[in-house]
Amino acid sequence: MNTDRVLRLALLAGEILMESGSEIYRAEDTARIISKSYGVNAECFFMPTGIFISGYGGDKKVISLMKRITNRTVDLHRIEMINSFSRKLNEESISIEEAERELRKISEYPYRNFPSMLTAAAFTASVYSLLFKGTIIDALIAAPISAVIYLVNSGISKIGFFQFFSLFVSGIIAGALAIFAKKVYPLINIDKVIAGSIMILVPGIAITSAIKDALKGDLVSSVARIGEAMLVVVAVGVGLGLMIIIGLH
Amino acid sequence: MEELLLAFFGSFFPAILFNTEKKILGWAGVSGLVGWTVYKVLTYLTGMPVLATFFGAAAIGFYSEIMARRLKTPASVLSISGMYPLVPGITAYLVVENIVTGNLSAALNKGIETLSYAGAIAFGIMFVTTSMQFQAKYKEFFKRKKKSEA
Repeated sequence: MNTDRVLRLALLAGEILMESGSEIYRAEDTARIISKSYGVNAECFFMPTGIFISGYGGDKKVISLMKRITNRTVDLHRIEMINSFSRKLNEESISIEEAERELRKISEYPYRNFPSMLTAAAFTASVYSLLFKGTIIDALIAAPISAVIYLVNSGISKIGFFQFFSLFVSGIIAGALAIFAKKVYPLINIDKVIAGSIMILVPGIAITSAIKDALKGDLVSSVARIGEAMLVVVAVGVGLGLMIIIGLH
Repeated sequence: MEELLLAFFGSFFPAILFNTEKKILGWAGVSGLVGWTVYKVLTYLTGMPVLATFFGAAAIGFYSEIMARRLKTPASVLSISGMYPLVPGITAYLVVENIVTGNLSAALNKGIETLSYAGAIAFGIMFVTTSMQFQAKYKEFFKRKKKSEA
């Protein structure tokens, strides 16, 4: 079996997992299982910003591959598909051509369509305004704000600009629109509106993954993820604070 | 009752944002419902919301681990959406507001509150996940020991 080709396959699987926001141990284990099922002994070292795989097959020649991870989103469905793919690989033998085809299919799998994501963002905001004990009107105002934030966020990430800038802009938008709504209709609770509409930006997955990484001993990625979560909160908070200062004076 | 429905949808919609598979969306909603119920009941009984958050998160962790085995999906798919209703969104907002208005002691107060909620969520989920894994490892260890003796 061609060692190079097997390691490339494992690298692709690892790349998809890391870009979808998987925990480190899951991605490393998957890459190891894939290489092992084609008779290659691989050592994997993954970090949120880059992954390394080094291995040797029957000919004892060592090959190392590295891939930089630049684009990190959250896509639980892709993680799930790779998870079931590696489980299938563990149980039965699949030819390497077929495995490559299947992985490429997973990596090109389309994201859920944009309008339904936008609606989900809007509904998330209104549900949380109500849960924070806001009124129905607060919920109705939070929904479009959140939809605008989602639109801007995905627009900026499509252009490929760095994440914290889009979060900062999101904070500004949330603050500006909520203050504007307050000026037009003074009866709303501005804190409920803003808190509800920024719920879609909460770095929940970064925090839970950070803890799971720490548990498994992947300290580097754990600290990196906690740092990421902190930066997200600070970026949104600064944007929001800026608008509140302007709105108050 | 109304809040329970909100908690369900409060996990259901973020799950859509994370591109969760359709047949799991409902289960992700139930995960939020479980966590919120435990949180509310314990807040009512003990009057300590941080403690209640810890056990709410632990309930989510427990639910996710069990359902993950049944649905054959990673547990984090369920637990990440489930913890959303417990996230202290409004306290985090108040921190920013207090910093901006120059009310620093209130900001510190709310900031510590936010951090303790976040820590409670994180350690609640972690507590269950580790104990489940420890139990699995423990079983495996004794199985191996028995095999080597036989």
